[in-house]
Order: sequence, then structure tokens, then C-alpha cells
Amino acid sequence: MRYFTTDLNTIITKSILAAICLSLPGIAESEVRFNRDIRPIFLKHCTACHGGVKEAGGISLIFRERLLIEGESGNIAVVPGKPEESELVRRIHSKDPDEVMPKPKHGPPLAKEEIAMLENWISQGAKWEEHWAFVPPMETKVSGLKDEAWVSQPLDRFVLKGIEDAGLKPSPEAGAAEWLRRVSFDLTGLPPTVKDVEALEADWENDDKKARENTVDKLLASTAYGERWASVWLDLARYADTFGFEKDPHRDIWPWRDWVIRSLNADMPYDQFTIEQLAGDLLPDPTPDQILATAFQRNSQTNTEGGTDDEEFRVAAVIDRVATTWTTWQATTFGCVQCHSHPYDPIAHDEFFEFMDFYNQSEDSDLNYEFPKLKLAGEEFVKLERETRTLREELDAEGHEISEVDWANMQDMALNPQFGTLEADDSGLIISEGTLRRGVVHKVSGLTGDFDAMKISIYPDSHDPKDWPEMGVMVTDFKMEKISTDGKRTPVPMGEIISDYLVGPSDPMSAFAQQPGGEKFKRFIGPGGHGSGGAGFGEYPRLTGPRWFVLLPEKRVVLGEGERVEVSLKQGANANESQGTYLRKFRVEVAKDDRYAALRSDPERAEKWQRVMSNRDRLAAMKGPEVPVMRDRMKSGQRDTRVFARGNRMTKEHTVKADVPDLLKQGYEGGENGNRLDLARWLVSGENPLTSRVMVNRLWGQLFGIGIVESAEDFGTSGTMPSNLALLDHLALRFQGQHNWSTKKALREIVLSSAYRQTSSTTPALIERDPKNQLVARGPRNRLTAEMVRDQVLAVSGLLSSKMFGSPVYPPQPDGVWNSVYNGAKWNESKGEDRYRRGIYTYLKRTSGFPGFLTFDAPSRDVCTARRIVSNTPLQALVTMNDPAHIEAAIAFAGKIRERGGSIGEQLGYAYLAATQIHPDTETVAELTALYEDLKKEDYTKSANLGPDPALTLTANTILNLDATLSR
Amino acid sequence: MNNLEQRLRLSELSQLTRRHFLSKCTSGLGAMWMAGMGQNAFGASTKLIKDPSHPLAPDIPQLPGKAKRVIYLHMAGAPSQHELFDYKPELEKLDGKECPKEFLEGKQFAFIQGIPKMLGPQFPFKQHGESGAWISDRLPHLATMADDICFIKSMHTDQFNHGPAQLLVHTGTPIPGGASIGSWATYGLGSENQNLPGFIVLTSGGKNPDAGKSVWGSGYLPSVYQGVQCRSEGEPVLYLKNPEGVTRDMRRRSLDTMDRLNQKIAQETGDPETVTRIAQYEMAYRMQMHATDAFDLKQEDAATHAMYATEPGKESFANNCLLARRLAERGVRFIQLFDWGWDSHGTGKDTALNEGFTDLCRRSDQPIAALLKDLKRRGMLEDTLVVWGGEFGRTPMRENRGGAEMKFVGRDHNPGGFTMWMAGGGVKAGTSYGETDPIGYEAIKDKVSVHDLHATMLHLLGYNHEKFTFPFQGVGQRLTNITKTGTKVVKGVLA
Repeated sequence: MRYFTTDLNTIITKSILAAICLSLPGIAESEVRFNRDIRPIFLKHCTACHGGVKEAGGISLIFRERLLIEGESGNIAVVPGKPEESELVRRIHSKDPDEVMPKPKHGPPLAKEEIAMLENWISQGAKWEEHWAFVPPMETKVSGLKDEAWVSQPLDRFVLKGIEDAGLKPSPEAGAAEWLRRVSFDLTGLPPTVKDVEALEADWENDDKKARENTVDKLLASTAYGERWASVWLDLARYADTFGFEKDPHRDIWPWRDWVIRSLNADMPYDQFTIEQLAGDLLPDPTPDQILATAFQRNSQTNTEGGTDDEEFRVAAVIDRVATTWTTWQATTFGCVQCHSHPYDPIAHDEFFEFMDFYNQSEDSDLNYEFPKLKLAGEEFVKLERETRTLREELDAEGHEISEVDWANMQDMALNPQFGTLEADDSGLIISEGTLRRGVVHKVSGLTGDFDAMKISIYPDSHDPKDWPEMGVMVTDFKMEKISTDGKRTPVPMGEIISDYLVGPSDPMSAFAQQPGGEKFKRFIGPGGHGSGGAGFGEYPRLTGPRWFVLLPEKRVVLGEGERVEVSLKQGANANESQGTYLRKFRVEVAKDDRYAALRSDPERAEKWQRVMSNRDRLAAMKGPEVPVMRDRMKSGQRDTRVFARGNRMTKEHTVKADVPDLLKQGYEGGENGNRLDLARWLVSGENPLTSRVMVNRLWGQLFGIGIVESAEDFGTSGTMPSNLALLDHLALRFQGQHNWSTKKALREIVLSSAYRQTSSTTPALIERDPKNQLVARGPRNRLTAEMVRDQVLAVSGLLSSKMFGSPVYPPQPDGVWNSVYNGAKWNESKGEDRYRRGIYTYLKRTSGFPGFLTFDAPSRDVCTARRIVSNTPLQALVTMNDPAHIEAAIAFAGKIRERGGSIGEQLGYAYLAATQIHPDTETVAELTALYEDLKKEDYTKSANLGPDPALTLTANTILNLDATLSR
Repeated sequence: MNNLEQRLRLSELSQLTRRHFLSKCTSGLGAMWMAGMGQNAFGASTKLIKDPSHPLAPDIPQLPGKAKRVIYLHMAGAPSQHELFDYKPELEKLDGKECPKEFLEGKQFAFIQGIPKMLGPQFPFKQHGESGAWISDRLPHLATMADDICFIKSMHTDQFNHGPAQLLVHTGTPIPGGASIGSWATYGLGSENQNLPGFIVLTSGGKNPDAGKSVWGSGYLPSVYQGVQCRSEGEPVLYLKNPEGVTRDMRRRSLDTMDRLNQKIAQETGDPETVTRIAQYEMAYRMQMHATDAFDLKQEDAATHAMYATEPGKESFANNCLLARRLAERGVRFIQLFDWGWDSHGTGKDTALNEGFTDLCRRSDQPIAALLKDLKRRGMLEDTLVVWGGEFGRTPMRENRGGAEMKFVGRDHNPGGFTMWMAGGGVKAGTSYGETDPIGYEAIKDKVSVHDLHATMLHLLGYNHEKFTFPFQGVGQRLTNITKTGTKVVKGVLA
């Protein structure tokens, strides 16, 4: 059989059509179905010009209503029931090269059958169907099976139906050893031992069903289960141990990886697993684990490159979170909607930004210290932190209660700029211009009369909120002095700050830390400090809108005749690693009001401040790794989310509020004020048509090597059709229904099914009939994943450490692979058992992945990856033959082979069984023995360390490189 | 696994099964490979035919192509056209003046703020060769090769950040996931040397390109067509060497055993992947010898080293240029060099036009000229297409990051106009094609988009860019991006 490019489209279309017919059994041929018959024609010939991107002639074939309207030609594209009046029909028949569709330069004319199909469809009323994936799953009743006896799990009925409809029969059942190898790798990522094989084979004789069930239960209960399945989740979560981008520094986020492993091992239901990771922080009184879970979305990249716009990369991270959510839970390509409506699926441009609003409220902002973080110091830390935050908000709220204060400008105001100019208009608005330098101090003085409070209002440069946020504004150091008529200066001790709202890494109170006697305010300085952090008051790193701060001196400021007050506003912070955060437009006002005096002397308030301070000290004293997590800005400080014109964040349009697309609105209960928690609950509401399907498809894909929907990342109209929709829907409904989102239960059923238990040995005829094994008329046979390749060789050789969790480890890797130009990070090869840990614990640097993994198709973890495309290359052979780690394992394996004892043939037979779980025949043993005897004749005196019996090491290395060893 | 690979492997499997496994072939894999190659040799059709277990077998293009291989020199960061090739006396006159408003309206810059100042060319220009090409004094060696080069001065792109722009110029799309031009070339033409990767990537400047490894990714094409990053120091390909003391002969014996046991498995399971794996192990075995040889610069004489100004034992662009010639000689289809550091913003010494940029010119000028000369004297230039360029151009204004005049002199990103050049491989030598406006800001005459460039490169390799497609997500994907219209082969640069 030959393969020609010109035939591709036909083959693809045919296979799609075949797949659809297969999945929708029993539909009358005469009835035209939109999804089955019409949409593929549109996609193939039309939507490139008449889609969500280009609506040539005003016509889009994505939304039905956009098809039933008058196009720019003045004619109606589709008149239901009347093909003869439909412009679409006229155009596809036209002989005029200027009129005919598709235009000759865009593509070939429609085939006769396609034209007939379109005409029939219009005649029958042009009935629209939503794309299958956007319609809720439906249980199909399967009847008329020829081989009912084959069915052992409910899912088998659906598989068998597909097999029988294709005129095929299932393959014979795999033997105990073949099934055991497959199920062990699939569930735990590790091979079974020879003992496991022998034990199962013995049990199999008595009661094979029970033997299998016991085996599966044991595997599912093994801690290795979580380690194997975590790697699937980590690909989606784009987990890595570094920030990404140019400098790519280290990130401590491995505790989240451990959370995933623990949660999988505990079989946390998928709905809870989803909610905790997307919105654990928004649950009532969240536990440390629930907050830690939200690090899922902090796996986005942070750019620490000098001079990069923090806002640009904050937005990039937000968009990445949106795309990750859609790929992971909805298998829908959402990224394209950033710039225009979806080219294929009915999702509008604005809906992207409505969805973005869920993530746009997060407090993180591409800062080099990745604020906000959770310190892993137990329940106590989280409780104290929550209490402190609540107290702080209460303290501010008490201040807010004092409304309608008469704020007055200073009289005889004097402005003293250190650089540039400082001028006030008639209203007292002070404007700073010119070239400033970091650390600049603006001095403002005037006559005030006695006062209790000073209000500093900070305004953006632009009046137009579309231009916000602007560069941040930080007063890092605030001082107030009285100046007597003879010029004598007396510092005014400051007491507290009431803010409009709290945001960012530092408490505004930190602005007092550098005043005389300001020691006690040092505890309010956040992780970034004053210079490249957000200590002080203002907003950092970006000013999202007007802000105000009321500063209360320790007591009422009482001034003598002619005595002036001067405030010094130092601006010592840098954003974008290089740009000053200056006061550009601000106002300084004072007020005398007894209510402030009362506030100051309120003992309860003083007590609260005491608690805040002692809490902060205790929090600072606690020890533990700090992990970036999700935390939203306070309600009063929420960001405006605006539509970006053509996806460009520099040109913003109208504001939008958090929402999910209309297409998938079912189950959303966020209303007008939805947040991430509403988003998470919507995904797992049970009414979302995609979540469960996407998850079971992922499980199926991992076990069978290909998903029921092959394009696991795209269930939309541009993705592939399900090879067996009834099966997919059955699994999806069962997963969210009977199994109550239990992944282990879902997996258990699949691996015990007759479908999964078939032998993978097959015939060329069946391979030709179903090359990808989508009909599942044979068992799966897949290459091991990158992690399995490593873990297996360690397991078989007895080197594998069973140590779980903790900081990532550095197994041997060649020198010079890490090109860490801008950071001093080194690959410090691990010692002791850390050298032999499972692959999931290997250090993962984004810009320079672990070579052995990348070669075996592990992704770089830059973006969410829904499936690994398996390749088969010579570079893989070089890894398993020559990587010193593989040689080290071969030496250890040789040791184990020797320990087995017996003749060399018996030893090598054992080795073959240990590595492949295939009982070797005499021919195999003879081959291996001959190789060993042959290699034994060599002189190894000058060779590298190949162990006590180099010939056996090299023979072991040969066994470890066999196709049967690298496949499951 | 995609449809194509599966189907191809399948067809091959049935033949192999018949020919070898059932006959209990014991003569190793050599015969099998020969059979595969033999079949392919009469694939004289214009349609794309791929041998499944021999995916890089040399193939015949759709059309007669003049270029048999490509050496693509990418200067990551975007070198300034104003300081190298695009001489504008008008810009010289405007030097130091405030930028006129009309140049700023509706423009977006990466770093320029407010009203920047114009910046004249920083170095003197002269005409060179019979063609009279304008080249600045930064490139004295390249200037001697002016009559072999075709300059395209009217390049333009729609991306002005490095990552997306590098992706666009290498894969035809600014979004990760496209197939790189090297992948397309090897997918179409295979490689003339089965003992080396068909698409080799060499980097210098201490870093990978900004867009990361996606710029040599195979995207939706089978992963076997992705670029293989090799190293000019240490083992050229990771894990290439056998453990010390394990001879080639010992490895052969181990492989023979492996082959026989794998054939047995293939026969029992019928898995076409097993057949492919056998072939990949054989290729790895041959690669061990051939890659070591190809990367051994010691084999070159002193005169050659002097000509290229190589830096033995270092990762250097000069070494990579010499390696490129050695790999081209050995039939590698696509050789991609990335040199990092050309992002001359003037934010520091490294990125100042009169400092870091000048150093990069000095480091790259002689080796590039040497590469062209060397290819020419070996008669290889006529069928080797050499391409040089960055991902976009630079502004005729001086960068004023943060709104202030900076200590060093630099220019911001400019997608509107830039210069690339090509030589050899069917390109019209000694020409200059297209023009930018009088200040070198926007391409105005005979504009060439990145997709036009790709269409032209594919044309030179023997492919019609509109017919050279691969099915993915329901459409025939192509290097020149299915969503773009109006892409054309630039006839004016063809010999």
C-alpha cells in the first residue's frame, strides 16, 4: 500500500465518516445529520473563509444564525427547506469563476455527493446540531451482540459492539504474564517481579478472575500508583522545578507535586481534586493542603529577565492559566479566542476575557519572589495568617467607617522636588514631572492647623481607565516633621495607616519602618523588601487605579502659631527590575476629627494591632519551604478585566465580568459575581458535557495508547471524532455517576475488562484494518514512557529507591547540559539513594530538560501538554545503550542474575523473564548464552567499570535494550 | 502516533514479514535496509512517498530543485540592518533629531517610550564587488563575497517580540506547535546520509534561542523530523560513545543478538513499532561512527582553521560554521545554526551597537565568509542554500528605555523592515532585492514576508509551498501557514 499526499483529505474524511457511522449505529441513511454529514463538508471546504476568524461576505458557518442571514451579496445563504432559494446552493453550482464556491484558488469544487448532501440537508430543514462534545453524554443501550459471553465489564458491551460492527472478533485473552506486565506498568509505572509473575500464574490456575482482582487491588493500593499517574497530571499542570524564561531560576514547588501524589494515592475524587487545585484557597477555612493544591496554577512561568514588563508577563501567566484550564478539563482550544471568535467552535471573543477575569483577580504579578506564597509550616501557619489578614481588614474597615471627614489642603503649601518638577494646581493636586531617579524624595510642607489624620491620594497619570494599570507607585519611606518658626525640626511619630484596601507583598505600615524609632514597623516589610519589593504604601508593581491611604500620627498633631508640617515621601522601589515607581499625581490633605482620636485610643483596636504584630512575628519565625499559591485580590481592590482588541493587551476595550461561555453554561452558579470557586464547581457540576469525558478519555489513552478521541487536547470540531462515542459516554457517565469521580474505580473496571485483557499479539491483517487499535480488537502494546524507561531499569536491577516525596533529585546527567548562563545553578549529582529515585523526582529545568526524558518524548513543561506523541528514534537507542546510569544499572542487574544461581542459561533465562515477563524459549536462552560466552572472551582490563563480570553486564545491557523490555 | 506513520509502517511490515521473518533471515539487518532503499529509489512520482521504517530516506522533490541542502544561519535577537546592509544617507542626516510624529503614530514598540531620537547608521558603509553591494565596515570579510550574495532588504514580519518572531521565521506561525522549516525539508527530501540526523542544530552564544527548542520542533509532523541539537564540544550527540572498553565489534555482537530476539518478538506480536525499533538501533550503531567522524574538527588542516578562525575546544560560532560545511559534505539535509546575543538594545555593554554588537560582527564575519568561500571552492555552493538573518529588524530610532537617554547606543525591535540574505542553491548572486523607505523603517518596494521567504526556500528545494502539506486538525497544514493568503515565491531572487 502506498501513501500519497493528494489522497490525504479523502482518507481523513472517510475515516472520520466511518468513525461517526461506527459511533452512531442504526441511523437511517436518508436522514441528513448535521454533525455527521454537513459539518465535515463545511470544515473541509468553507470555514477557512466563513468561520470565526474570517466571515467572508458576512457569512459564518460556525453559528446557525450567521448562516440564515442575508450575506453581503444581498441573498440569504441558507433558506431552510428551500435549496433553490439558498445562495449557498447557487454558489456551489455556479460556473462563473467569480461566483463559484469554494473559489478556485482556495480549493477544489465540492464533490457531487457533497453537493447532494447539502441540498438534502437544506430540503430537510437545515437542522443544526451542536458539535457532539458540547452536548451532554448519553447512555446508549447496546443490543444484538453476538458474543455476549465475552463481556466481563459493562464497558465491554460498547467495545464489542464496535468490534462486531466492523465485522471483526476480539483477540484471545492475554496470558497471566502478559497481562501482569501491562497492568503493572499502567497502574504503577513499574514492572512486576519474577515472584509476582510466578505467584499470579499459580493463582490464575485456581481462579483467574479472583487472581486478577487481587492483583489490581494490590497495584491500586501501592504508593507507586500515585507516582505513576502524577506524571500524567504534571504534564497537564506544566510542572517544573524552575521559573522558565531566560534566567530560569529554581522554584520550590515540589510540595505541590507531593500533594498530587498523595491525593492520587488517596484516590481523592476528581471533583474534589479539581476544586482544591483551582480554588482551594477560596474554600471556607482552607487547610494548608487545600491552599497548597492551588499551586497547580502557579506552575505558569515567571519572567525574571531584566527590563521585562511585569504586567506583560503577569497577563501571559493569566492567559496560560486560562488555556491550561481549557485543555486540562475541557479539551477545548481556547487560546485562539484571545484574538478573535473561535475559528471552528461557537465561542465568542468577549467570552475569552470573561473567563480570563476568573484568573485576572489573582494577586501574583510576575514578581521575582513569586508572591503570594504559602509557607509550609502546618495548620498553625495558615490559621495565624488567616487571622492576621482578617484582623488587618477589620482594622481598615473600622477606619472606613469614619466617612465624611472634612479633608483640607495644606495652606501655603511648599513643594520641594529633589529631581524634576513638583507643582500643585488650584485644587491641591500635585503633579511630578521630569526625569526622576530611584530613591527620589518629594517634600511637601504647609500650614495645617492641628490635625488627627493625613490622607494621601495617589492617582494614575491617565484619566482613561482603559490605560490602566500604569507603572506602580510606592512610597517606601514616609516621614513627618514639625518645623517651628525658627526652623527647628521635630519628628512626628507615626501610628498607623488605614488603606482603601490591602494588596501586595508588604503591609502599608512598612512605610514607617525607617523613621526614627520605627523598629516596630519592620515586621510589616514583606518578602521583597523596600528596593525591588513592595514595602511601603502605594501599589506595586502596577497601579491599577486611584488609591488612598490615611496616615494617623501617634497622637493629634498640635501646632503653634506659624508652625509648619513637612512630609518626606521617598520612592525607593523598582519595578520591572529597572524602572522607578514614582508618585506622578497625588494629593496631601489633613483632617481634624475626634473620631480619629477615638479610634486611636480604642483599647480593642490597640489589642488588634498587638495581635497583628505578634502574629506577624510568629509567622516570620516559622520555618518551612515556601510555595507560590493562588490568592485573589480583595473584593474592593479587584482588577478591571477588559477585552483586548485583537488579543493585544495594549489596546483595551470594554470591561467584562467573570463568566463561562454561553455554549457550556449548564451547571454554572456564579451569577454576576463568580470567582474561581464557581468556575471549579461548574467544571465538576456533573452538568458540564466535557469534564468527565475528557478525564475518562485521558485514562483510556494512557492504558490503550490512544484516546477514544485521539486528539486528547481538542474535543472541538477541529479535533478528531471519537472512535466510539457510545463507549466514551458510557465511561464518562459511569465515572461521574456510579464511581462518584473515583479514578481508581474507573481504572479498575478498565484493566479488568475483556477489552484490556486481550493479547496484543496480532496479525498483519488486523493491523492493516485498524492500525491505531481504535476498535480495540486486540490488546494494547505501547512503548514505555520516559519515566518508565528509567524506573524499570532501576527496578529490574534492584537499584530503585522507594523513598517518596521531597526536593527534586539530580541523577547523573552529562556535563554541560545545563546552560545556566544567567544563574549559578549547578547540577549537583545526587549521592546515595537519591541517585536512584523514581523519575518523577528528577529535577526538571524548563530551558534544559533531563536529556534521557526528552529523548523519550517527555515534554519541556512550558505549556499544558495533554498527550505525548510517541517517537522511535536512534537517539533513544543511544540513551539505553550508553547512558552511564543505564550501564550502572546493567552492572547491578548482572549482580542479581548471578545471585539467581544455576547454569548461565538458567541465569539468562531468569534475566529475560525479569526484564520482559516473557517466559523465554530455548532459542532465546541459546541466543543470550551465545552472546555471553562470546563476550566473555574479550579482554576487559582496560575498560571502564563494567562490574565483576563485564560480559554478563553487557549481556544484561542487551536484555535491557530489547523491544520487549521497552514495551508494555 | 499519526496516521501517516502508522500506515507507512504497516505497509512496510507486511513486506518485511514476508521477505525476512518468514524466511528466518539471519543475515542481519543490512539486507533489509538495502531493500528499503531500493524500493524508494524508483519513487519517481511527484507525489510524496515515505518509507515507514526508513523515514529519512533521500527522496525526490515535487519539482526540480536547485538546492539540495540548506545551511541556515539565524542570528537570534535580530541584528540591525542599519549597521550592516541597509545604507540610508537620509537617516544619517536625521541623526540626533527628535523622531517625527508620523513615524510613531499607530506603532507599537517593545521598549521605546514617548518621542525617541533618530539614530543614524553607526558605522561607515562602502559599496563592494561588481554588484556594488552596500556593506558596512563591520563585515570586511563578508564584503569580499558580495557578488555571491542576494540581499533581501524588504523583509517584514508581524511579530515584534523575540519568541513569537523566532517561531514565525522558523515555523511559519508565532504559536508553538508548528513544524520548523528544517523539519519540512527533511520530511520532504529525507537525508542523503542515514548515519547522521537529517536535521542538525548547532547553537552558539551560550544560549538557546529565546523561543526555546520549539524553533527546531517538528510540530504536527512526525517527531522523527525534528531537529537534533548537537554539540561542538564533548560528545557531539549525547550518549554517542560506547562505555569505555566496549569495542565496536562487541557492540555489533550485542546488536546482532538484539536484532534476532527483536525479530522474534516482531513475528509473534506483529507490532510494526518493533520493526522500526530494530532499524533505529542499527542507525544508532552507524551514527556512533559517522557522527564522531563528522564532528572531528581535528581532521581539518591549519589553513582551514585559520580561514574560519575556529576556536578549538570551545562552543563557538566559527566552529559551528566549519561543522556546517562538514555536515553539508556528508549529506545532512538541513543544518541550522543559532547564534545568540544580537538583541542590540543598548541597555548595557553587551547589547550596545559599538560594543557587543561589534564583537558579534567580528566573531561571525570571518567564519561566514569562510563558509561561503569554502563551499564555493568545493563546488558545493551551487546546490547548498545558505540563508542569513534574524527574526525582525531594528528601529531607525535610538532606544530610550524608561523614557530616558541611555548610556549605550541601541535600537528597539522593528517588524516593519529588515534585511536577510541568501547565497548559493539557485539564488541570483550579486543582487539586492526590495527596498525599505528612506530611513530603513518600513519595507516599501518588493516587500517580502516571512511566508514569502519560506515559499521561496521551499521552491529552491523543489516544493510548491501550497501543495507541500500535511494533514492535521482537519486541514492540510503547510509551512506558509494555511491562514495566510497572498504568499508568493520571490521570483526576483531566483537565478
